[in-house]
Parts: sequence; C-alpha cells; structure tokens
Amino acid sequence: MSKVASSTAASGAEASAGIDWGLAARQARGVLRLEIGRQLFGRRALAAAFLAFAPPMLLVLWVFNPLDAMQGPLDATPLFAGLYAGYHGTALFLGCLVLFMSAYRSDILERSLHYYFLTPVRREVLTVAKYLAALCAAALFFSLGTALLFFMTFVPWGFGELGRYLAGPGLGNLMTYVGLSILGCIGYGALFLLFGQLFRNPVVPGVVFWGWEFLNPFLPALLKKLSVTFYLRSLYPVPVSTSTFAVFADPMSPWIAVPGLLLFSALVLALASWRARTMEIHYGGD
Amino acid sequence: MTAHESVHDAGPSLDDGDLIVFDNVSKFYGEVLGVNRVTLRLEPGITGLVGPNGSGKSTLMNLMTGLLRPSEGSVQILGVSSDVPHALFDHVGYLTQFDAFPERMTGRSFIDSFLRVHGFGAADARRLTEAALERVNLVDAADRRMGGYSKGMRQRIRLAQAIAHEPGVLVLDEPLNGLDPMARSEVIEIFKGFADEGRHVVISSHVLHEVDMVSDRVVLLTGGYVVAEGEVSGVRSEVEERPIQVLVRCSRARFVAARLFEAEAVVQVELHDDEGGLLASTRKAPRFYDALSRLVLEHDIDVETVTVADSDVRAVYAYLIESEGDVQ
Repeated sequence: MSKVASSTAASGAEASAGIDWGLAARQARGVLRLEIGRQLFGRRALAAAFLAFAPPMLLVLWVFNPLDAMQGPLDATPLFAGLYAGYHGTALFLGCLVLFMSAYRSDILERSLHYYFLTPVRREVLTVAKYLAALCAAALFFSLGTALLFFMTFVPWGFGELGRYLAGPGLGNLMTYVGLSILGCIGYGALFLLFGQLFRNPVVPGVVFWGWEFLNPFLPALLKKLSVTFYLRSLYPVPVSTSTFAVFADPMSPWIAVPGLLLFSALVLALASWRARTMEIHYGGD
Repeated sequence: MTAHESVHDAGPSLDDGDLIVFDNVSKFYGEVLGVNRVTLRLEPGITGLVGPNGSGKSTLMNLMTGLLRPSEGSVQILGVSSDVPHALFDHVGYLTQFDAFPERMTGRSFIDSFLRVHGFGAADARRLTEAALERVNLVDAADRRMGGYSKGMRQRIRLAQAIAHEPGVLVLDEPLNGLDPMARSEVIEIFKGFADEGRHVVISSHVLHEVDMVSDRVVLLTGGYVVAEGEVSGVRSEVEERPIQVLVRCSRARFVAARLFEAEAVVQVELHDDEGGLLASTRKAPRFYDALSRLVLEHDIDVETVTVADSDVRAVYAYLIESEGDVQ
C-alpha cells in the first residue's frame, strides 16, 4: 500500500524530484491496459483492420488465375515488390493515420482526456504509452497484412513451391517486408500522433502528407529525403520500378536509413510529449 | 483548529504547504476574460465557490488542477505548483463538469483502470475501487456499462473516481447536479467526512443554498472576479428572506405539491401542464428539501429531476452582489 501512504502529504521538493522509474513503468502499464484494448477492439480498429486485410483479400482472384508468363514464385517476386509498395503507400499509411491520430484526438472528441490529465502520470509517460499501444495494434495488423499479402501472391503455385521459395530467398524477403511494415508504423505513427495533438482535423494534414509521400519519386533528390517513404523504399529487398518521370536518388544504406527513421520518430515523439505537457483541457475549443 | 473555520481565521500554524494558494491569477481565452487577479488562501475544510453560470468557477477549478494554465500568476496546492501534474494528483481528486467517459467501460473497470494509471498495483487498485464504490453506494451497478447509467449514477461514479485514491484535496464542480434528494444527502455526508478528516474540499455551485448546506465559508464570483469571500452565515439570513425556485420533475406532482404546502415548505407552486412536475418557490430551502425527501421515501414518488431554476438563482446572486459590502 506504498502509494496510498505516500499520498498523504505533498511538498514542493517532491515536484522537482527525479523520475521514479518504477512508478513510471507501472503507470505506463496502466495506460497500456486501457489503450491497447481501445486500439485493438475499438471502432477505429475496424477501419485499420479493413485497410490491413482488404488488399490481400483482393488477391483471391489472382490466386486462381496467375499470369501464364510467370512460371513460379521467383517470377512473381518483382510483382510482390510492386504490390507491397502500393500497400505501404496506401493501406499502411492510412491505417496508421487512423490509429495514431486517434491516440489523443479520440479522447478529446470523447471529452475524456481529462481523466488521464487528472492522474499523477507524467505527460511524457502518457504520450509514450499511448504511442506504444497504437504501435502494438498497427504492427499487429500490418505485419499480418503484409504476411497475408505475401502468401496470397505466392500461393498460386501451390504450397510445395511456396515452401521451396521460403527455403530460398523468400523467407528473408518476407521478414524484411514485415520489418519494413513495422518500421513504417513507427515512423508514420509518431508523426500522426503529433498531428492528432496539433490539429482539430488531423485528416487534412494527413492527406497533405500523403500527397507529399505519393509524389516522392518525382521530387528532387534533396526533397525526397524529407519523407518516410524514401527511407523505407531504400530498404526494399527488391527494387521497385517507378515511372519514367521519376527522379533518381541514391538509396540510403540500411545502416543510415533504419537508425535515421528511428531517430526521426524519437524526435517527433519528444515533440509530442512536450506538446502534451503544455496541453490544456477546454473541449469546447477543440 | 477545526475543519470548518473560516478562511479569515487562518492561524499562524498553517503555512503554504497546508493551503490552496491563488497568487494574482488571471486567465484569458484570447480576449475573453476567464478569471481576473484572483488572490486566495484556502484552508482545510469545505470552501464553496458560488456564482452564476459563466462567473469563472469552473475556470478557477481547472486552473487549480492544472487542466488550464494561468495567463498570469500562479496556483499552488499544498505547496505543489498546479503545472506539475505528476506531483499534484497524488493529493488531488477532481470531479469535473465533463459528463463523459471512456467508451464501453463498466463503473468498476473505470475506477480500477485509472487507479492503475495512478500507479497502484492490482491488489491495491481493487481494494480502493471497492471502497470508493461502497462510499458512493454504487456497488450493485458497478459491473454495468456506464453508457446505461442515469445522470445521478454517472455523477456518483465520477465522484467515486475522484475520491478513490484518497486525495487530501477534493475539488468538485457542481457535484450535486442531477442527484435526487437521497443521493444528495449521502454525497454531502461524504464531503463532510472528508473535511472532518482535515482535508480540503472545494465545491462549486450556482446555488448558494447548496453550498450553505455543506460549508460555512464561500468565495463569491461574478464576471471572473472574486467579489466576496467569508462565512456563509453572514449572508444566509438575507438569502432566506428571498424565495428560491426549485424545479421538480416527478410522479404524482399534484399530490407532492399539496403535501409541500401542508408542510409549509413552499410559498407558491406551479404545476406543469403535463402534471409531471412542478415549480416550487420556497423561503426555507432546508425545510423544502427535507419535506421532499420524506415524500419520496414515504409515498414511493419517482423523482426524475430536482434542480434550482436558474433565473431565480441569478436574481438571488444579483442580490448578493448588491449586498457585497455587508457580506465581507
């Protein structure tokens, strides 16, 4: 009953004391308990799940009618690379927008954010926990979605061929694509969580950012680097052919792209935490 | 020192670590004034913030609890600045006016979950949850989803959530709204119990009578300014001379009206056209509420709403403001 005992008196010194990491971890678990349930089973989870699983399910027709020109899974590898690029650019992007922008925004719309703000949880801890909860949901949906997309692309030649492909380059490719999906969730997620704090209607900046990402292949080499998709595409195990109008830029080394994207996400999350510290509750204005 | 001594009786033994201190606090929403230059030192016990709608009561409470930040000045609760929430909310519980909940939760999971966010372990959270539910008499409905709760039940579950972690300072924004007479008296006993333990209880209301029932000192607000503070007794007699109007929606309204007259609890009653309620004028609010409570208990009357009619409250409040010099 240590916490009750500690709550009987306050002092100014307490306010400036260092972080109690044990308490912060317990509080983060408390937030995660609430948020993971909402992110996995709430209304927005349905939209995200639809975005994650609808594209692979659309490949049912392909399963029964693969192109005659393709003799086996190896021939379909470039096809999958293109499909994944589209999946990442639309389904994963929009799914992350739905899940992460709601981390704060849905609480504001529900008028229930104050319940968190009226607990002794540090806003930084709250922000990170909300982010992790949304990341769990997004990573789960889009990892499975990516794996399903992979399966649907390569299964028309039978499970035997699929097994042989996985025993060769297939498994490595699959793991890389799943990793890319998780990395995409990490990068987009941090940004969309911040959008959810900053904008009353985060869909608008989300769509603008989508346009920016969509146009990425056509941007000058320098501007290309101001995006998430550029770093992710640099990590694709199989290059994707782009339009003849696309501008070429040297792909990033994985040793720069991965830490760079993680660092970018951490910085955006730090900005979101700072923003959370300065947030006020007046729902009428939101 | 008892919990009910006046703010003006502050003894030398209390320092800022025991008080709620507003130091020249102003809050502006753009060019709109929220509160202006509020300086207060509140001792343990029950303090009522009284003022008409829009007078700045909720703003003051939101500033006190860090949901808003002052444009100028500072607020300290028991020596902790209100802009350090992680240090503040071990000691503060706040029942806001926001009547909303996280979706699809039961009453029990709502309280338990936010105790876990406080940092309590599972066993402590469970024990505190049960204690809070018992305190607000909501154990039987605790496993129902809050979306199906009545207004009174929602108010009580939010109160349970505010007191569950046993705070030293309890801030309550219009806590009696939506409660039937029985629930009111139960909730008021909770407030008194808290104050008797030497804790702070700050209650807002736009009805002076409600504050009068539970506290003996008030802070009067209008237009964002503190216009008076002190003991309620100094203004009570003047208020009692003027009738207040109470709106009651209930079954058997005609019968209730007749019995209220018999009990000399009202000076005038208007029945609603649908006979599903009445508007009563009373000069003796305590007698009125006692009589109404007895009627409800003894004659199985279903009460939907009991609320003070706002226009009359404004009139009473205007009267108080005019009497400012006498109050202080």
